[in-house]
Amino acid sequence: MNNSLKSSVPTDREVILGILNNSEDTLNKLYKAYYAMVLQFILNNNGDEDDAKDVYQEGIIILYNKIKAGNFELSSKLKTYIYSVCRRIWLKKLSLNSKKAGNITDYEDVFAVEEDVENHEEKDASFAKMQSALDHLGEPCKTIIQDFYIHNLSMQDICEKFGYTNTDNAKTQKYKCLQRLKKIFFQP
Amino acid sequence: MRNDLELDAIIEDYLLGKLNAQEMEAFEQLRLNDATVDHKVVSHKFFLASMDTFAEQLRLKEQLNHIHSEIDVEGLASTLRPHPSRVVQLWRKHKSAIAVAASFVVLSLVSIYSIQHSTQQAERYRQLSNRVNNAIKTQNSLIRNIKHNNATSDKPSTQNSFGGTGFAISTNGYILTNLHIINGADSLYVQNSKGESFKVKSIYTDPQNDIAILKINDKHFSNLSSIPYTIKRNTSNIGEIVYTLGYPKDDAVLGEGYVSSKNGFIGDTTQYQVAISVNPGNSGGPVLDNNGNLVGIISGKPDQTEGAAFAIKSKYILEAMRAIPQDSLGINKLSANKKSLLSGLKRTKQIEKIQDYVFMIKAY
Repeated sequence: MNNSLKSSVPTDREVILGILNNSEDTLNKLYKAYYAMVLQFILNNNGDEDDAKDVYQEGIIILYNKIKAGNFELSSKLKTYIYSVCRRIWLKKLSLNSKKAGNITDYEDVFAVEEDVENHEEKDASFAKMQSALDHLGEPCKTIIQDFYIHNLSMQDICEKFGYTNTDNAKTQKYKCLQRLKKIFFQP
Repeated sequence: MRNDLELDAIIEDYLLGKLNAQEMEAFEQLRLNDATVDHKVVSHKFFLASMDTFAEQLRLKEQLNHIHSEIDVEGLASTLRPHPSRVVQLWRKHKSAIAVAASFVVLSLVSIYSIQHSTQQAERYRQLSNRVNNAIKTQNSLIRNIKHNNATSDKPSTQNSFGGTGFAISTNGYILTNLHIINGADSLYVQNSKGESFKVKSIYTDPQNDIAILKINDKHFSNLSSIPYTIKRNTSNIGEIVYTLGYPKDDAVLGEGYVSSKNGFIGDTTQYQVAISVNPGNSGGPVLDNNGNLVGIISGKPDQTEGAAFAIKSKYILEAMRAIPQDSLGINKLSANKKSLLSGLKRTKQIEKIQDYVFMIKAY
C-alpha cells in the first residue's frame, strides 16, 4: 500500500472532532486514509475503481452523518467501522446486480452495521426523490432552484445570471418554479 | 395564482425568519384562522428541510469528489488489483491470519521453553529437598564426630552416623520415625530423654510415605506407661496451633507454630505444611495439637522457604500401624479412640509427659 497515504492517517479522535467542527482538512485526511483499504476490497471482489469510489463515498457519508448527528459512539476503530459499512454496501450492490458474491475476500475485521446502512438507504431514497423532482423540473427552473437553495446564491445574483429585468421578476419566477417542484416532490 | 405565489413568498420569508415583528404577528394570526395556510406552512417547512439536507449532502459529495480527484486512483488500483501470482494473492488475503499464526508459533515456543524451564526448576527443588535430607544426616554426623572426638573413642570408630527423631506408638517399644533417617543404616539405636540407649531393629518401612516402624530389642528396656497422645483422625485446618518435639541436637527441642497449608511439597496431599522452624534432626518428630492429638510427623522442609516444614499427615501413621501384626503392639498402643492425656494441660506439662515417648534415632 501507499506509504504516503498511510503515514497521514489521522487518529479516530481527530476525525470525530474535526468533522464536528466542519474541518475540511480532517475530511480530506480521513478520505485519503482509508480509501486504499476499500479500493482493495472492491477490486478483489468483482468491482472496479468506480464502484470503489461510489461505495467508499457512501461509507464516508454514513460515517459523516452519524458523527454529525451526535450519536456516534466509538465502539470500534473507525477503520473497522468504515470497512464494515463499505463491505455491507458492496455486498448489497452485488446481490442487487445478482453478481456472484459467494466468496468474499476480506481484509479487515467486520462488525454489524446493518442498521446504519439501512438508515442511510432510507435517507438516500428521499434524496433520490428530490433529485428526480429537480430533474423533472426542466430548465431554467432547475438551475434557479439549485442556485438559490443549494449554492446559496442571492436573488440579485440569480437576477443578473438569468437576465431578468428586476429581482421581483426573478422572485416570481423562482416561486413559480418552487411551486412546480413541490408539486412533483410531494406526488405520492 | 398571483395570490398563491405571494403566499408562498410570505411563508418562505416566515420560515426563514425574514418577516418583521408586525408581519409575523399578522401571519401567525392568518395561520391560526386558515387551516389551508397552516398546512402550506407545514409542508413547506418539511420541503425546506429536505432541500437543506439534500443540499448539504450534495455539497459533501462535491467535497468528497474533489478530494477523490487528488488521489492517484490508477496507481493505487494497480498495486491493489488481484495479483496474477497466487502466492502474492494468498499473502495479501491472509496477511493477518499469517501474522496471527506466526505469533502463535512464537508464543507456543516461548511457553514450551518456559515449561521446560519450570520443570527443570521443579526437579531442582526435589533434588534440593533430598539435599535437605542429606543435610540432616551430615549435620548429625558432624555432631557424632564431635562426640567421638570428645569421647576419645572407646568404641571402634564408626564412619557415619545419622540422627533423627522418633516417637513411641506402643508401650512395649514400637517407635515410628521417617524412613529416610534409617535408610541404609547398619545398626540402629534409640536414645530416650534420660540418655539411655536401646538397640532397635526396623520392623516395617513404607517408602512411599517415608515412614518406618522400629522395635526396641533390648533387654534393658522396660515397658513405658500408657501413651499420652492420641492420633487425630480428621485433617487439621490451616491455622491450627501445633508443636513438635525433636532432637536436632542432643537435647530435646520444642518447636511451635501452626498448620500453614493443607498440602506439602509441590502440592503433596499426603503432607501438611507447618510453620515451625525445624532443623536437621527434627525429622520423624511428632507434630501435636494443643489437645495432644498427633497431627503428623515432621519429614522435611522446603529449601527456599524459611520457617516452614512438611509433616506427613497422621492418617498415614494409622495406615502404617495397621500394616504390622496387631497383637505385637500390645494393648497399650497408640490409638485414635482414646482421649488424650494431654488435653487441657499447659504446654510445659505436656512436654514433661511426652518427652519420655520421644526418642532420638541414631543410625550407624
